[in-house]
Amino acid sequence: MASRITAAAHDDRPTFEEAAADLVNAKSTATSSASTRAFLILGAFVILGVVGFVMKIADDGLDDRRAWGYYVAMVSFLLSTAGGAPMLSIAPVLAKANWIRPVMRISQLFAAIGVLTAIMSIPLLFILPPLVEDEVRRRSIWFGSPAYFPHIWDTIAIFGLVFIGLALLWSSSIPDLAAIREGGSGRRQAWARRLAPTFIGTWGQWKSLRIRIGVLSAFYFLFLIFTHVLFASDYIHALVPGYKDAIFPMYHALTSLQAGVASVILASYFLWRYAGYNRYIGINQIWNLAKLQFALSLLWFYFFFSAFIVFWYSRTPQNEKVIELFDQGPHLWAFLGALFFSFIIPMWTLMWNFIRVSMRGPAILAAVIIFGTLLDRIRLAVGAWAVEGINDKFLQVVPETVWPDLWDIFMFLGMFAGAAFLFLLVTRLIPPVSLWEIQQSRLISKPGMYMRSEVEIVGKPD
Amino acid sequence: MAKTSILGLYVDPEDGAKAMDGLHAAGMDPNDFDVLTGTPYPEGAFGEHVPQHRLFRFPVFGAMVGFTLAILFTAATQLAWPIVTGGKPILAIPAMLIITYELTMLSAVIMTVIGILFESRLPNFNPGAYDTRITEGLVGVVVSVDEGRASEIEAILNTAGAMETKRA
Amino acid sequence: MQQGRQLDEIRINKELLNGALETPGWWKWAVLLLGSVVIMGVVVFGIQTNKGLGVTGLSRPVFWGAYITTFVFWVGISHAGIMISAILRLTQAEWRRPVTRAAELLTVFSLLTALSFPVIHAGRPWRIIYWIFPYDFARGLWPNVRSPLVWDPAAIGTYLTGSTLFLYVALLPDLGVLRDRTTGWKHAMYGALSLGWRGNPRQWRLQTVAGVLLSALMLPIFVSVHSIVSWDFAVTPGVEGWNSTIFAPYFVIGAVHSGVSAVVTMMALMRWLWKWDNFIRPEHFDALARLLIVVATAWFGFTMVEMLFSLYSLEAQELAFRDMQMFQWPWAGLFILFLLTGFFIPVTMWLFKSVRNSIVLMFWTSILVNIGMWLERFLIVVPSLARKQPFVYTWGSYQPSFVEFALMAWSFAFVSMNMLLFARFFPLIPLFESKESQIFTTEMKIGRTTIPAVLREQE
Repeated sequence: MASRITAAAHDDRPTFEEAAADLVNAKSTATSSASTRAFLILGAFVILGVVGFVMKIADDGLDDRRAWGYYVAMVSFLLSTAGGAPMLSIAPVLAKANWIRPVMRISQLFAAIGVLTAIMSIPLLFILPPLVEDEVRRRSIWFGSPAYFPHIWDTIAIFGLVFIGLALLWSSSIPDLAAIREGGSGRRQAWARRLAPTFIGTWGQWKSLRIRIGVLSAFYFLFLIFTHVLFASDYIHALVPGYKDAIFPMYHALTSLQAGVASVILASYFLWRYAGYNRYIGINQIWNLAKLQFALSLLWFYFFFSAFIVFWYSRTPQNEKVIELFDQGPHLWAFLGALFFSFIIPMWTLMWNFIRVSMRGPAILAAVIIFGTLLDRIRLAVGAWAVEGINDKFLQVVPETVWPDLWDIFMFLGMFAGAAFLFLLVTRLIPPVSLWEIQQSRLISKPGMYMRSEVEIVGKPD
Repeated sequence: MAKTSILGLYVDPEDGAKAMDGLHAAGMDPNDFDVLTGTPYPEGAFGEHVPQHRLFRFPVFGAMVGFTLAILFTAATQLAWPIVTGGKPILAIPAMLIITYELTMLSAVIMTVIGILFESRLPNFNPGAYDTRITEGLVGVVVSVDEGRASEIEAILNTAGAMETKRA
Repeated sequence: MQQGRQLDEIRINKELLNGALETPGWWKWAVLLLGSVVIMGVVVFGIQTNKGLGVTGLSRPVFWGAYITTFVFWVGISHAGIMISAILRLTQAEWRRPVTRAAELLTVFSLLTALSFPVIHAGRPWRIIYWIFPYDFARGLWPNVRSPLVWDPAAIGTYLTGSTLFLYVALLPDLGVLRDRTTGWKHAMYGALSLGWRGNPRQWRLQTVAGVLLSALMLPIFVSVHSIVSWDFAVTPGVEGWNSTIFAPYFVIGAVHSGVSAVVTMMALMRWLWKWDNFIRPEHFDALARLLIVVATAWFGFTMVEMLFSLYSLEAQELAFRDMQMFQWPWAGLFILFLLTGFFIPVTMWLFKSVRNSIVLMFWTSILVNIGMWLERFLIVVPSLARKQPFVYTWGSYQPSFVEFALMAWSFAFVSMNMLLFARFFPLIPLFESKESQIFTTEMKIGRTTIPAVLREQE
């Protein structure tokens, strides 16, 4: 049988030496004037965001919940996109997918943006009302717990998630940092020495590293779900009296995975198109990611509809008010945007293979989905934070539409700039394509011929 | 001139591939010869031309038909007896969506299966030369050729190492 | 990884057709035994039809009991086929190959069985025709498409039709093999069913594309079916414990949990009964157990969230229902048994490689899961109805009667007997998948070690 398999005539994948030169030495150490300019511009926008935040406090204070809906939407959005992205380095690995290797690091790099999520979540501690106000306790998943339990546990969850994400990023970067320690130069090398002082690639070190990555991945997954359950329940669900929607935290988590995949596709596209990683990231990665994106877009609607049909069918005044609040009423525009950008457009486009098998198609759709996620978070968070009488038993009055003010827009710009700033900053130290993953991919897969047919031979180690 | 079907049987698939090479070299039209196997080999393993198909059109057509019929069915039946149940509107779109979805998918699946059979050229109960040992591991190369060239083709098949050739 | 013995096609044909071309000695006795139970079930159903639903334990306020529980249970089991066949096909998991056919078959027979239960439950089964078909044309009365009880047959009918066609399309190459190995009426039958299959590149290519395309089409149907079944309960605002938005994905993931476990049970039986040690190997059980750990954990997560939110409002009715379900005898015992058998015992055991590679232990743990999953459905259906009303004097309880137990036994016998009858005429393991696996699995030498490898065709 084996005799029918022969080596391919051409193997145009980068050699070990080329990959090491590309990923450790050349690409990431480049400090061109363009990147400096990018940092300056992004930094300026971050300052604008901070100005927006300060002015918001000055104008509205911390007690006007209605004024902070867009800010909560921003945190929810960041938690969804940057928080969901690292899951891509976990789920396909379980299926022993080889295609994921070139983009694994990209997905883990989003954990760095978690720092921004954590920082932005701190003001929420002061904005979120306690469980008991005027001796009236609102319904929540905390039942009879002390009034500040949500504040404490949500903060622990968000910071815990960020910490685990960073630990995962660091752990999986150790071999590459060791390579930079040996072959890099300057400040980058100095950082690598500190972060990977002893790794020399012994069998024991690799084994321990794999276990560490496995354990951290499992923890990340569990913590991500935990964080979404708490955040969605405390910052959105519990603020709408009479709203009881068990699927809502899972919807928040699922749409986070969708946005996470979209973020990775977009970042991969930019690295492929503009940063010279086209020998590592290619159509195989985007095609497989696009399939995943398609499935997650269908699930977006499935999770939404699972809740909607139950509310719609009951026809109770309470449930009709909930539908009005989130879907039909003051934030219809955001709902329709989310429906189109997170579901209808991705479904009708990604179902066609010729779109999935392109670099640009899935990238454009990833941007569309990220925008859809933003609108989705706005409809939910802004809607919930505009509700008056959160300690009532039922939603009495559906609030008016809340539009973003200038400071909200400043903060949005600052958030996007801050995320990009952090992502780029980390790529100055850690290669956005993992050298060791690329090397291992080269080791366990190779092009070959089966009789007259071109095939790829992929090793499947346990 | 009347056509005849000739089958060459090979123990080693590589010989089968050589026979295909020989037929290509003899200037045979690729539509006139085929390789028969009991196992799906990687596409192009025998140097055969990769067959094109239009299977993907079938589910799309099926889905459109199913969607249309489902909309008509759900709307018409509700309008035919316009009684309000459970406080729902007469044309209850979320409920219609569920039935429509199922019938759309049903129609798409049925059309896909029809498409699979159509594109596989099945049913075909007059397949030409065949040998039951093909489903036991032998590779068959079957050629449809004018009677006049039959000997030439048999020679090509034998040169590639056929253990047996037969005509239908 | 899956590295079985290299077998030639003659050997594969001989081993995998040992049930279809010959009659194993145990087969007749098994069919006889199962057939007796099936006949007993038919007799009991006849008695129920004659006497009415009074012979069951159903009484006010619990009018949905063991029948509806068993209906949901079998719809859940039916999710095995598409889960294994479609998802693993789309993810190119090599270990799916020996499992797909039996899993798809289980889907078809368990759906047929599931469909019987609403008919049995109706009491007057001849009236079921009014439910999905027009009452009469003269008055223009049509089925109410706004009712979940009409969504159900639409979804299950679609799933059953799709699964049957899926099964048939994937059976075509093997029907060709059977045609070539038989004579007389059997040859004619297989010849007609195989539609003239020859195995040329066009047919093989279409077979491959069909697998992927039908998988992609069947997956959304698969998700919709149990979702719609769940909405039978979830859209009922008046019943605590039912009216939950999470029910759709919760039911689907639970169905996958029980369905994949049923596949494990079936694979162990197939290996033992037909001696298919060369095809169903410990590594297949290992892979399924790993998948089950993920599925079971996700299902448990959904269970926890569902419980958390069911108590969310702390309304008296909610508390009464949960109190009965979790703390009152015998429901508390069933609840603990459900958690232990549905999750804690099997998942804890699957964490150990020695368990995952032990076919005996995998067999018994998979049985445990399905005991737990039946109980789960029972604990959803019955206590909710028993505490449906706010007034204590309207509360009630429920205990299945002998008739209900007999018809539940009938369902298991019916599915098993049909599987055996199918296996007498058709291979339960796809021949062509096993043969393809011999080509597509190979080895790769890295340094001084050799690892299993697979071939991937260039897209």
